[in-house]
Amino acid sequence: MEYFPLRLKKWSGLTLLLFLIGILPTEAQEILDYTFDGSEHGKPVNQVFRSIETQTQGKIYFLDAWLKDFPVMENQQGKTLSQVLDKLFADSDLSFISMYPSSLVIVKDPEGVIAYKEALQVVREDMKIEKFVLGDGPPRSNAPVTITGRVVDGKSGEGLPGATVELVNTQRNVTTDATGKFSLTIQPGAYVLQYRFPKYEDKAVDLIAWKSGEIVVSLELTYIQLQEVVIEDKAAVDLTTSRIGQTDLSMTALKRAPALLGEVDIIKQVQVLPGVTTVGEAASGFNVRGGSVDQNLILYDGIPVYNSSHIFGFLSSFNPEAIGDVSFMRGGIPARYGGRASSVLDIKSKEGSYKKWNGNAGIGMITSNIMVNGPLKKDKTSLLASVRSTYSNWLVRSVRTDYGDLQKSSVYFYDGTVNLFHNIDNDTKLSVTNYFSKDAFRLIGDSTFQWSNFQTSAKLNRSFANGTEGEFVFGVGNYGYRVINDNVRTASEHRYSITTTVLRAGFNKEKIAHLLNFGAEALHYRFQPGQLEPTSAESNVKSFAMQKQFSLELAVYGSDELKLTETLTMEAGLRIPLFLSFGPSTQYRYAPGPLTPEGVADTVRYNSGQIAKAYSGLEPRLSLRLALNQTSSLKLGFNRIFQYLHLVTNTTAVTPVDIWQPSNYYFKPQRADQLSFGYVKESKDKAVSASLEAFYKINTNVVDFKDGAQLTLNDHLETELLQGKGESYGIETFITKNSGRLTGSLNYTYSRAFREISGPSSSEQINQGKRYPSNFDQPHIANISWKYNLSRRYFFTGYFTYHTGRPVTIPQSAFAVENLYVAYFSGRNQYRIPDYHRLDVAFVVEGSHRKNKHVQGHWVFSLYNVYGRRNPYAVFFKTTTQGVPKPYQLSIVGTVLPSISYNVKFQ
Amino acid sequence: MMKLLRYRLVMKRPWLAGLLMLLACVDPIDFEVPPAYEQIVVEGQITDAPGPYSVKLSKAISISEKPETPEPITNALVTLFDDKGSSEVLTSQGNGLYLTSGVMRGQVGNRYHIRIELDGKIFESEPDLLTPVGEVKEIRYEYEGRMKTSPQGEQQRDDRFNIFIDADAGPGEEKFVRWRFMGTYKVVTNPELHMTWLQGEFYFKTPLECSGYVVVPFIPGGKLEQRTECTCCTCWANHYETAPQLSDTQFVKDGKFNNVKVGEVPITTATFYNKYLVYVEQISMSRSAFEFFKLIRQQKEGALSLFQPPSAEIKGNIRAVNTATPVVGIFYASSISSKKIFINRDAVPYNLQPIDLATEECYHYYENASTEKPTLWED
Repeated sequence: MEYFPLRLKKWSGLTLLLFLIGILPTEAQEILDYTFDGSEHGKPVNQVFRSIETQTQGKIYFLDAWLKDFPVMENQQGKTLSQVLDKLFADSDLSFISMYPSSLVIVKDPEGVIAYKEALQVVREDMKIEKFVLGDGPPRSNAPVTITGRVVDGKSGEGLPGATVELVNTQRNVTTDATGKFSLTIQPGAYVLQYRFPKYEDKAVDLIAWKSGEIVVSLELTYIQLQEVVIEDKAAVDLTTSRIGQTDLSMTALKRAPALLGEVDIIKQVQVLPGVTTVGEAASGFNVRGGSVDQNLILYDGIPVYNSSHIFGFLSSFNPEAIGDVSFMRGGIPARYGGRASSVLDIKSKEGSYKKWNGNAGIGMITSNIMVNGPLKKDKTSLLASVRSTYSNWLVRSVRTDYGDLQKSSVYFYDGTVNLFHNIDNDTKLSVTNYFSKDAFRLIGDSTFQWSNFQTSAKLNRSFANGTEGEFVFGVGNYGYRVINDNVRTASEHRYSITTTVLRAGFNKEKIAHLLNFGAEALHYRFQPGQLEPTSAESNVKSFAMQKQFSLELAVYGSDELKLTETLTMEAGLRIPLFLSFGPSTQYRYAPGPLTPEGVADTVRYNSGQIAKAYSGLEPRLSLRLALNQTSSLKLGFNRIFQYLHLVTNTTAVTPVDIWQPSNYYFKPQRADQLSFGYVKESKDKAVSASLEAFYKINTNVVDFKDGAQLTLNDHLETELLQGKGESYGIETFITKNSGRLTGSLNYTYSRAFREISGPSSSEQINQGKRYPSNFDQPHIANISWKYNLSRRYFFTGYFTYHTGRPVTIPQSAFAVENLYVAYFSGRNQYRIPDYHRLDVAFVVEGSHRKNKHVQGHWVFSLYNVYGRRNPYAVFFKTTTQGVPKPYQLSIVGTVLPSISYNVKFQ
Repeated sequence: MMKLLRYRLVMKRPWLAGLLMLLACVDPIDFEVPPAYEQIVVEGQITDAPGPYSVKLSKAISISEKPETPEPITNALVTLFDDKGSSEVLTSQGNGLYLTSGVMRGQVGNRYHIRIELDGKIFESEPDLLTPVGEVKEIRYEYEGRMKTSPQGEQQRDDRFNIFIDADAGPGEEKFVRWRFMGTYKVVTNPELHMTWLQGEFYFKTPLECSGYVVVPFIPGGKLEQRTECTCCTCWANHYETAPQLSDTQFVKDGKFNNVKVGEVPITTATFYNKYLVYVEQISMSRSAFEFFKLIRQQKEGALSLFQPPSAEIKGNIRAVNTATPVVGIFYASSISSKKIFINRDAVPYNLQPIDLATEECYHYYENASTEKPTLWED
């Protein structure tokens, strides 16, 4: 008779309970209430147990060997089994547990049972308990058994990475891996496991493990239904993963933080993490540990994103409502990522519900968005669609300024996603995700700027029989921009585009004390680096097209996360990239000396598919974690990364018309070598945690532009750019409190970032070849954020930031040339703009907390820049009466800015 | 402290006024910089036209709202060299200007440089190649109606004539060409009508001396009487380009520059009081001089761009040889071709108001104005 399902895969606790209540009680009575009738007198104990099993249709688990030394039974007429066993086992090493009314487990480990019973008391008070029995009865040997488990979201079935599983009996902890899996090796016996994951309800598992097996547990979002939360900056993760410099971001916290014009933004949240700086409000990019903006790999569902900004940087092009989870890595970057030297921002779009249709909608001051999702086929196929658009035209049109004629301006954008997820079988899942965004704006003059992203990708996840998890991705992304000029004389259209095709296979395999991760990827790039066409007959613009460029970036990688000892974990990996630049192309070769357009000595022609230049290298990656005790650990990381695509820009912020230049004969790949060291400490109750990380990084072949460089539509781009060295170092500290009425975090970073471009001749040098601060060298950065709960529905959130002003190049003096006054500028980045600091606060009203209410909303009332500081965003120049440019600072938000947003969720 | 100037982006919609009063704002920003007067400024040119050629030496000025006049350097020794072994010492004119005697003449194909000695400090320019230049074929103008918002918020006319040229690109391989636009217009003022007010109620006729008028006494109210010629009533004012116009490769078609916009003529009661002279020079230059002017243009135009690139140090081709004294500037060699046209008052497609009645000297009332009639002017 099979009483207990041994593999309760994807069964929720509730289903199991119904099953047990609904079926078992009709067949069996409470076995412990069995009353003896005297017939047991003189029989051996094992025979008596068998007879009770038959009479009650129940089950008693035991080994005959344990009972052979007991004397034959006395007459126990009128007594219950419970009373008899208490007396019988009183002086023995046996004990008993009743898991289900009809079953009884005899256990030969009294201490273990006591611990188990105590553990059960601990969790029983307020937690849902699920029961699992692995095996048919006590094993004959005492060999350890391995419990593998998976923690999943009850709604989507997705694995929850970083969930804590505590073996309550022994107070041992494990953390789930990237796919929500964990494994535990234990002595056979009875255990209580407690599952914890932020914003999800805790759950306990009552487990009897006689042999190795798998348990799958689903967790439900907490009773107060907030937005989907994926992961938070949480101490438990910091402490138990070996990776240094990794942060997972919470979308829920983000949606309730004060935001510029009430528009929440994922990139803005990245900008406040330790080690990250930004050049100002209207800059969607970010700089990580002294790296430039292009050194950040932004992946959206595995496809690289080249421009993540809306409205020239006020917002990022990712709708927070469509984002599932986000990981940000700035140190210890795993071997599966490569191609950008500083950091990885891995964004995964949200999965639709497999259970029921629901959605949400939001109205903000600039954008509105709607998202719906639900099952196309219950538990099998889900769909999610979201769209966001703007009505920010009024914002631009209604401003009057002498900084350009904004009256003629227009701004619009939209973005959207359509995601389809399908569970082919229990082990195979297919996801097809589509993302698009488009921007258009016209500010000064006759030019309209348009840029767009479009990408589609298919991903297949499969669990193989040998325990290997595979992920296969195929996708195509296109980024392009157009500048349309409609002045009669210069009417033209300037186009630029990059098409990226991605093919990737990655595998995870778990073995005892090892977690293997290996795979390969191929990215094919097709660049149209610029094409100019006249668009009217009167236009005197000459048609011009830069030649297309083709390259292929291949990589294989492997890594192993292994437990060297109980306290020392190492993740060691290697990535081998190969970058090929190939034809068709015609390339210039220059005479010796500084490259100049007139110095062309020869041209070389490459046929289609012919390799013009190849670069390869080895990228070692290493992370070490040494657990000092239960609450603190030391971490060490080293990584080397090559970067083959360079953003060519001569403005500090990313603009929509910047050019990405692949490595070729002239542009060598950038290389970053980073060493980082960290210490993490948390309080016993995990409410407070603190960390300290130090890093030292060297970049080679960083790209900078010559003074006065002309970058767009330049056939001789190599003559305008220089490559040099970068060096950065710093210390990042972080403290967070994540429970109680007041929660919050504080971080402070001291870091420096320098460059040195010292070519052989003066035109190939910047600042005479001396080391100079990079554009984003901001030594002191501090961020404080907090949230104070007035009640469960009302809370205050706030944010304060401070950073040293970034370096600028300024006019030192003026002189006249032919009646024209001109400013004489300092060497590059020799001065600093004033420091930046700002306080934001928000008051959040959550809607109803009733779980079954169909519509739930929340209001966010926020004040941005509370004390109205005029923080400089840009230094620009207005000519004085004499025609000399005098520096002025532009403050994007020079005053306190209130805003309101309302978001509603329906189901 | 600098006078605080503030430009705000003001929200016009009243329903949002309370919510978004002010968004962005612009404030002056001050940096501690070394004194400007320590820096030496050099400006000079040699052409293939007959001399004399000039070199101007001055000290840099500080960046400030108050106009400053650069202090001339008068005590330097300036020598001009070519690559054929000739040289000539320039003569100081006492106002910072140094002139050649006219003995040396620029020739296409030669390289020229100067050497400056000042209190034992030596500065030198890099030798600059004199390259040939193409002809300016035609200058055209085109009317464009525009409006602007005055500081008081009123709409005002801001009409222009846009100036275009067609030109040959010239025989050289490199098309490093600069167009220098200069506009000249005749203006008048009435200094004889100058008055002095007393407590805002009473006035006295106080004609300026240069007007040639005097007030004849003892006649009630005073009578004006001309005694000499007016020397400050008629002026010729100049418009200079706001940034160097340089050849951009996308405008070259079959060795010709077509429809290149080289300047704008604002249409006002003053610019078309009489007529307007448009004078365009096409100047060949070496790459290093071109780069120098390109940096200047970038600085001038960058100020208008939303994505302002960080302005660069303007390098020029003057180097300090034996001193750390900062120096900036250019000495370059060019061929120049030029062309002029007049735009008459009746080209303005509507009736202009009479010129402002001004009682100051014409060269004070109008910017860049002088009573000396330009040689190019034809009455």
